[in-house]
Amino acid sequence: MNRKNRIILSCVYWAFVAYVFVPLILMVLMGFKDSNFIGFPIRSYTLEWYTGVFDDAETISAFVYSVAIAVLSTVISILVGTWIAVLLEGRSFWGRAVVFGMTVLPALIPGIISAIAFRIYARYLGIEPGMGAIIWAHAVHNVPFVVLVVMARLSTLPKSQIEAARDLGADPLIAFLRITFPYLVPAIMGASIFCLLLSFDDFVRSFFLGGYEPTLPVLIFAKLKSGMSPEINAIATVALVLTAVIGVWAERFTRRMNKDS
Amino acid sequence: MANDPLVRLDGITKRFGDTVALDNLTLDIAQGEFVTFLGPSGCGKSTTLRILGGFEQPSEGRVLLRGEDVTRRPPEKRNVNMVFQDYALFPHMTVRQNIGFGLELKGMGKSEIRARQDEIMAFLELEAFGDRYPAQLSGGQRQRVALSRALAPDPALLLLDEPLGALDAKLRAQVQQELKSIQRRTNKTFFFVTHDQEEALTMSDRIVVMSNGRVEQDGTPEELYFHPASRFVAEFIGETNLLNGELRGTDGDAVVMDWFGQTLRGHAPAGVPPKGAPITASVRLEKLDFHKERPATANAVQGRVVGKTFLGSRMAVDLTVEDAQGAHLKAYVDAETGQSVGDAPVWIGWDGKTAWRCCATEIRCPGRPFGRPGIALQPSISCFRARRKSRMSRADFSSIET
Repeated sequence: MNRKNRIILSCVYWAFVAYVFVPLILMVLMGFKDSNFIGFPIRSYTLEWYTGVFDDAETISAFVYSVAIAVLSTVISILVGTWIAVLLEGRSFWGRAVVFGMTVLPALIPGIISAIAFRIYARYLGIEPGMGAIIWAHAVHNVPFVVLVVMARLSTLPKSQIEAARDLGADPLIAFLRITFPYLVPAIMGASIFCLLLSFDDFVRSFFLGGYEPTLPVLIFAKLKSGMSPEINAIATVALVLTAVIGVWAERFTRRMNKDS
Repeated sequence: MANDPLVRLDGITKRFGDTVALDNLTLDIAQGEFVTFLGPSGCGKSTTLRILGGFEQPSEGRVLLRGEDVTRRPPEKRNVNMVFQDYALFPHMTVRQNIGFGLELKGMGKSEIRARQDEIMAFLELEAFGDRYPAQLSGGQRQRVALSRALAPDPALLLLDEPLGALDAKLRAQVQQELKSIQRRTNKTFFFVTHDQEEALTMSDRIVVMSNGRVEQDGTPEELYFHPASRFVAEFIGETNLLNGELRGTDGDAVVMDWFGQTLRGHAPAGVPPKGAPITASVRLEKLDFHKERPATANAVQGRVVGKTFLGSRMAVDLTVEDAQGAHLKAYVDAETGQSVGDAPVWIGWDGKTAWRCCATEIRCPGRPFGRPGIALQPSISCFRARRKSRMSRADFSSIET
């Protein structure tokens, strides 16, 4: 009975692993195929597609553009999100629930709807589609994640820490800068990585609010329209490796920092 | 002003919604005293501490520090430092940085800070740990760091909020001695809050027993132990036998009471209730002696041993007194005496002058009824008030009695 259960459980587990990883593995494999068409069988392998990616000015500039958007939108999200979190955590005031709800809402709205809404609003405000508009949309979308992560961390800060700082002569601002902020750093680091990846990965908002210059996902989409080729697999593989490395590193880093304090 | 006490709490009342946490507390603390606020949780001791630290504002009344009104002053502007219950060490700072935090904010120069850090770390034997983080220290070391950090800015008053709660029993006893000696060596005023009566007795110059937001008794550990002003204090501090009976009258200095048909003599702390009033006597466990024959002591009853607990150096013996309707008594005797007593009835004697006190019935806790309703409460209250106004010695009580 027990043994049977274990076998069933491990089967389900490996089926799930296969479900998640087989498409990724196939995608990576196709990037090495020496042919213009995606599909089996793979008769010979080449690195040409990869060298092509790094030679292709269009891809490189889309990549740089995406990274720039990710970094700038993350900075804004972190500033705004941390500020809201500090404002909301551990305080009760009239309308707190409403403020909290409105803060979290952008994370729940379907991407396509918020993208259209942003597009219309941007036109209404006279904001040109392009980098500024994308950064703005990404920042709004990412703020809720920052708020939630930072609030969770803030709620575990013992009240006595701030009281001790005040007791030793710190006014509320110094107490925040010297005690609260260092305590929040792991959460802010984690939230930053998450925001970077969310922004880098975003297609819908970038597509709707973009100008003539494409972000990396938009570029891939454009390339797809003109036909599948292993080049896309190569681009995707590079992006995959980068995000995976950053994600795993960030996860380990924040865990270590949380353990320290 | 030279005559001002270091701290004066002047009619402090604190309400949280409908609950009164502190009820018109008035108290002076002198420079160099080790004062302990003792009481069960919710008695107002921590609220007092937080008001002194500036973390709470009293609803009424004033806090004076060296004659200066600091009631509305935030914590950072008071020359008062606190050792927190959880120590509240800053986890991202080393021991040295923790200790330097208050000095930096005082605007001291770098070399000055360094000198003070070295001095205080040497004083509390923390030199070896300067570069460690709090997470790398043991409980006792953290406690010392917390103490160093609070002492470093040279506060006029040091507040300690049950700082020994997190330590194990052995370390605790050691730290108690250390704290007391640190207090003596620095001649600082310590305001210590605890619910542990043993801790309070060990360390304090003066203990203020609190209950329900009021001062029950304010005195030296010896006064509290040997002359409890109320049933609450008698029960809270040390172990005691509480004998409920009826007042018969006075005989010279002694009060005579009837305890289920047995006549007992003792000394009342203050005021004598009217004849016939219910009265409670408190007899410490170690004051009872066992005898084969009826002893010549002022009080003697015959009891039967119903249980013994061996405690190493001594033995706790449970007895019933059949002549007093089977009432229970508990006694501490040395282990040999404890072993020798058997099933045969034993005489229990205790002195009438020094060995026991009787105090008028407890009045302030309606939720904890004892004795009979409609009892004479006045004496206890008057004794309580008188004691609060001028910390009277035992000699003063006799004047009230006459």
